[in-house]
Amino acid sequence: MIRRFLLCALFAAAAVPAWAQTMSYADAISQLAAACKNDIARYCKGVPLGPRLKTCFDANGARMSPKCQQTRSAVYASISRRAAAQRNIGDVCSADIARLCDTSHADAHLVECLVSVSPAALSQQCGQTFNDTGWRTERARQ
Amino acid sequence: MRSDIQRHRLAYGKGTAMKSHRCHAVAAVVLLGAVTAALGQQQINSSQMATSLAGVSNTRLSLTGAQMRQAVLDNIHNYPGTLPPRPLTFPQMENMAQFVVEVDFDFNSAVIRPSSYRTIGSIADALHNPILLGYGFLVIGHTDSVGGRQYNVGLSQRRAEAIRDALIDPFGVNPGVLEAVGMGEEQLRDPAHPTSGVNRRVQLVNVGKKFCFGRSGEQFVCP
Repeated sequence: MIRRFLLCALFAAAAVPAWAQTMSYADAISQLAAACKNDIARYCKGVPLGPRLKTCFDANGARMSPKCQQTRSAVYASISRRAAAQRNIGDVCSADIARLCDTSHADAHLVECLVSVSPAALSQQCGQTFNDTGWRTERARQ
Repeated sequence: MRSDIQRHRLAYGKGTAMKSHRCHAVAAVVLLGAVTAALGQQQINSSQMATSLAGVSNTRLSLTGAQMRQAVLDNIHNYPGTLPPRPLTFPQMENMAQFVVEVDFDFNSAVIRPSSYRTIGSIADALHNPILLGYGFLVIGHTDSVGGRQYNVGLSQRRAEAIRDALIDPFGVNPGVLEAVGMGEEQLRDPAHPTSGVNRRVQLVNVGKKFCFGRSGEQFVCP
């Protein structure tokens, strides 16, 4: 019983470890396409990519291949986590930006500000949210 | 729709007044390169897409989606025929930052194939790039000439809407910055080969700044 609980907990943690980077939307959704192509053709034929595809996964998940089930949990978790971070970064990091970048509000230089300071200087929540936006790595690639 | 716009906070939340000279600094040369890459059947990645969309002139597109849809219907009405006798053009759009990608749909359907999921994800990555914050975009669908012209307008409209819908959910793009338009076969890319696959495509166009941000962080439709 305890063993099963631990196993489940491990599984849940593996889906979205708190420290993990989120994937780019392109990487996330192409992992889904690769792992679930056959299951989509079989159980979700004609279902558009969008909210209805997730509903179809939720309804038919148990019948789908283990690989697809595992991948789609991780993929949807990553996508919604990145989207939430990109939506909320201004609010989450407003105090950090005011403290570190000599500006009273999160303006257009938000990304430059957060990239320029040492990650250790950011509050834990702001640092994590900024990582989740994917903008740190995006900026590094440019 | 309006309430959606209000509810959907843009990424920077508070006080984002993007400096316009920064937005317009990206060279149009890159745009040209990216479009050429798409023409060469090679899909562009999200960074190239974002750069293409950011290489923008200082203007806002003086053409609405509704006007474009009307122009398509007028073109079919005024110039009937199996194939469009003359292509529909929008000179205003030529200077706008844009790119073209190919998206695979099921036959005669607006369902995006898994083989093109990555392309939609890349568009989402590009539209979330901080350099494009607050800008509005047209998602324009084009078909080849197989099928009636009127039918193709509806098909391409549904396909453009399918892409818009996926960008909004699950990828979290602000619904207020996206408008879907179907052009049918009225703008064939290769009129000499009207049934060729190169005609089936999706065009993403930056229509200019849509949302502005006040000093205290409030978001409003730019005047």
